[in-house]
Amino acid sequence: MTEKYLICEDSLEGVFTGIYDAYALREGHVHNHIQIGEEENLRLFASYLYIRPDCVKTKKVAETIQKRLGTEVYYSICRALATQDAGKGQAVYQTVVDGITNGYGRRVLEHLTNPFVELLFRLSRNAANEIHHLLEFVRFEELRQGILYSKIGPKCNVVSFLMPHFADRLPLENFVIYDEKRDLYGVHPAGGEWYLVSGLEEPVGESAPRSEKEEAYRELFTMFCQTIAIRERKNLKLQQQMLPLRFQEYMVEFVKK
Amino acid sequence: MELRISPSMSLMEKLNILGDAAKYDVSCSSSGSSRAGDGKGIGNTVKAGLCHSFAADGRCISLLKILFTNECIFDCKYCMNRKSNDVPRASFTPDEVCELTIEFYRRNYIEGLFLSSGILYSPDYTMELICQTLYKLRTVHRFQGYIHVKAIPGAAPELVSKAGFLADRMSVNLELATADGLQQLAPNKHRKTILKPMKLIQNGIAQNKDELVLYRNAPRFCEAGQSTQMIVGAIPESDYQIMSVAESLYQKFSLKRVYYSAFVNVNEDKELPALPGGPPLLREHRLYQADFLLRFYDFTVGELLTQERPYFNMLIDPKADWAVRHLELFPVEVNRADYQLLLRIPGVGVKSAKRIVAARRFGPLTFEDLKKIGVVLKRALYFITCRGRMMYPTKLEEDYIVRNLTYQKEKYPFSPDGMRYEQMSLFS
Repeated sequence: MTEKYLICEDSLEGVFTGIYDAYALREGHVHNHIQIGEEENLRLFASYLYIRPDCVKTKKVAETIQKRLGTEVYYSICRALATQDAGKGQAVYQTVVDGITNGYGRRVLEHLTNPFVELLFRLSRNAANEIHHLLEFVRFEELRQGILYSKIGPKCNVVSFLMPHFADRLPLENFVIYDEKRDLYGVHPAGGEWYLVSGLEEPVGESAPRSEKEEAYRELFTMFCQTIAIRERKNLKLQQQMLPLRFQEYMVEFVKK
Repeated sequence: MELRISPSMSLMEKLNILGDAAKYDVSCSSSGSSRAGDGKGIGNTVKAGLCHSFAADGRCISLLKILFTNECIFDCKYCMNRKSNDVPRASFTPDEVCELTIEFYRRNYIEGLFLSSGILYSPDYTMELICQTLYKLRTVHRFQGYIHVKAIPGAAPELVSKAGFLADRMSVNLELATADGLQQLAPNKHRKTILKPMKLIQNGIAQNKDELVLYRNAPRFCEAGQSTQMIVGAIPESDYQIMSVAESLYQKFSLKRVYYSAFVNVNEDKELPALPGGPPLLREHRLYQADFLLRFYDFTVGELLTQERPYFNMLIDPKADWAVRHLELFPVEVNRADYQLLLRIPGVGVKSAKRIVAARRFGPLTFEDLKKIGVVLKRALYFITCRGRMMYPTKLEEDYIVRNLTYQKEKYPFSPDGMRYEQMSLFS
């Protein structure tokens, strides 16, 4: 039996289509591998299949996962696919196989002795942690038109996980979250539904003028953060442990202007 | 009745004074209530709480923690804002508090408001002002984020309960673990005036629960419960006394949290201890560890401390300390022990215990699996077996284990050949 490598696009659609096609091969799952993106070094005696994302197949796989493994597992899979890990496609594929063929259903993520499930669990947790951190550390700046603008540079592709939270929290605000690493905008018009925008020619928010009071509130908050610390308990190491430097560079109270 | 000193201050100066005055209040949690926005205002709350920043002392900044005013008629010896201190005084207006909260909240700087206050004129007057502010924030600005408010000891019950319907969490500070200590250091406060509003809030929450069963949309009263705070190290109380008080607060007043605050000597009062080594932070840390053991690990204070052993071991944490004194229960077989016993193993937390129970249904666990699950093996290895074997050959002796647990430098006490090598020090 030759090893089969299904090469997918780095997206939810890509991986889900890959899973559909891997099942469609009907050759068992041990020798199938879902790989994201091209690999530099080709393997001997392996055959490669190139998978083109397909929205019908994606939908079928998504529905099957939700039905057979439950919504919680489905969300965990979505989060794991937002990470940068090269093994995420294979981890998702083998977890789905493990859950469906063994009938574990929604308990499949508890099967931590399976290395693929363990990897999926770990990736999903990494993404969840970063999402949680950004819900806390996103900082909006008010532009002159009253739009709230925020720039982030996360490790995982998290904008679509952040938007629902802020849309619920600030329903009457126009706001934008810009992921500078992926050039992706999450846009929420006041009173409307949020959506994603990408492929703009140049970033729009950075150079836009800020509102008059923006500077004043920034100063107020920066000062508040300094006064609230108790001098006798100073512990910068703990501060950095709780709030890693990679987030600090985007936060008003730490950026010197 | 406008007797305020220096009313014409900028918002910046006021925030500086009143933020500074509020910093000794420990509680900054925004957890415990979960509420989606109604789409017509601003804000929601998240069950787990969100910490929006961290100050230079490593404590989280979740809420805009301020005093309404630091003018105070009380003269508590440990407090920076006591009336006999000559410090700059300031008061916010309700509008200023609303403006700061909303503008900070929009920018995702904060998760909500923490409003406390010095006592201006009388407890009732102050509580009334606080209620006004919260009412404005909730109705005029339609703010649906988190609000934590202090109940002022001695305020009228109807004002306290009014505030309870506007806030997510309320708290009354117990300040000191013993009634004598309170009398000595806070002559204007009494145990009774502190416990009365506490009981009131407890009853309010219990009653509200019943109402919510009948009417799903009934107004909510302190959804996130109530908390309190004790100062540690200002009077010569023992850890046993503090923990016993905390335990009875959890049981009799159904508090969500008790906070411990290492005493910081701001006033240099002759009644207060000098602390040349800084605030007793390690002691505070041990108290928090024990507090978590009470709340999540089913420990009782009697198991951790006794009248004869009234202080925690400063070298090892309370759970490890308990374990080495109960070696007859160990080693525990991870693949068979029940959840309660797993929780008692040092190095196994609530999450890992739950994961162990879930994962072992699929097959026996190995030490490698435990590591992935999140068990801290360097602490747990003395107390567990996997499929009947220990990780390394170790001795089940109290001295030996304590020595190894406190030996910080090395991750595992043995090299691969099972022996342990140490540099001899001949001349030290």
